[in-house]
Amino acid sequence: MQTEVLIRVQSTADIVTARQHGREIAARLGFSPSDLTIIATAISEIARNIVEYAREGEVSISLAEDGSRTGVQIIARDDGPGIADVRAVLRDGITTGSGLGLGLPGARRLMDEFDIASQLGKGTTVVMRKWIQ
Amino acid sequence: MTAFTHVQPATAAGALPGELLAAYTEGLREYLARRDEQGLLRAYEIGRRAFGLGSGVLDMAAAHSRALAAVLETTPRAEVAAAAEAFLCEALGPFEVTHRTFRDANTMLRRLNDMLEDQARRLAYTLHDEVTQTLAAAHLRLADVAAGLPPGVRPALGDVRAVLDQVEEQLRELSRDLRPTILDDLGLVPAIRFLADSASKRWGIAVHVAAFLDRRLPPSVETVLYRIAQETLCNVGRHAQATQAQVWLHERNGRVHYSIRDDGTGFDAAAVADSGRRGLGLAGIEERVALLDGTVRIADRGGRGTEIAVEIPLESNDDAGECAAGR
Repeated sequence: MQTEVLIRVQSTADIVTARQHGREIAARLGFSPSDLTIIATAISEIARNIVEYAREGEVSISLAEDGSRTGVQIIARDDGPGIADVRAVLRDGITTGSGLGLGLPGARRLMDEFDIASQLGKGTTVVMRKWIQ
Repeated sequence: MTAFTHVQPATAAGALPGELLAAYTEGLREYLARRDEQGLLRAYEIGRRAFGLGSGVLDMAAAHSRALAAVLETTPRAEVAAAAEAFLCEALGPFEVTHRTFRDANTMLRRLNDMLEDQARRLAYTLHDEVTQTLAAAHLRLADVAAGLPPGVRPALGDVRAVLDQVEEQLRELSRDLRPTILDDLGLVPAIRFLADSASKRWGIAVHVAAFLDRRLPPSVETVLYRIAQETLCNVGRHAQATQAQVWLHERNGRVHYSIRDDGTGFDAAAVADSGRRGLGLAGIEERVALLDGTVRIADRGGRGTEIAVEIPLESNDDAGECAAGR
């Protein structure tokens, strides 16, 4: 089975494609239906972020393995403006009282692992994984 | 008949605006025809917009029912069920995110509370044990000094001792206010009886404690119930012009029921809120009880005083993980 897909993300149509692939790969791995929704939601949020702030970027979806665990890994990359204060962005929704807690912090809450690297003027990379329970 | 007021705030939620309901209905209809990812993304985006407008999960469920009813007029029932479920789940995605956000925030608040209690406990023990030890050493040194002085000077040293005794008494009181050792060592009921005695002495109100507990409660529950008694009795003593108060505590069906009532003018909400400067305050009481999944009600007993009634489930708080009493 195809275990890695790379999608260029520039528009809503690409978000649809990314969700579709994420859902397919996760379904073949044996994730439950509600996990598929959660994974699609997390993909939507990071892909939306690319379209909204960087205009374009890419999302790769692949199989993740770690010893006895398997899961899905999603990497989002863009060369956009980057984030000045990653911690502040991730706190959104809990301590800042602003925003709705969707976006990047929302994606983080939906996945088991979430890493982000960002540099002003250079872009942002998000790596997130979810393991089969 | 006592009128109870629910103090816990109800969340405001708004029904979906007509335009969004129409979009949901149309989206569902198209998804049933095409069953594609684009349809699901549409559901998700509608959910996101509804969420942004302040709608709640129940509003989404209501909108879904209405949309489904509309769609069923033109589509055979058998084809609809599974697809409609997928569509709804997708629309609820953004709400799942907030649900998790609040759960995380709740956990963080609990930890913060535990940390604050632990700090108060350590400070209280330090004041109680170590600082009073140091004072005792000062007394001993004074006695040594006194022995070597001419008798005429000794009364002045007696004054110093009286001042030290005052300091010690103040430190003990501060220590008890912070966190009474009796709460950790003997448990909630003796600690509340002790508070009741202090209130009687301080403000001249007769406090009757009726407690029916045959075991220690989880530490986080004991702490919050103790803090409520501390706060409430203090307010009754200061503001309620009461002559009597009653604390009532018992466990039934896995829940602890707790109430404090007085026969005065009542600890009006303003007075309790005002005390927030020093103690928990009414809002603080509500928040801490809510963190333990419990409820708080304040009842004005129509000129016969006020009652605060608290209920907390025990099972879900059994290992609510307050740090063990550490010294």
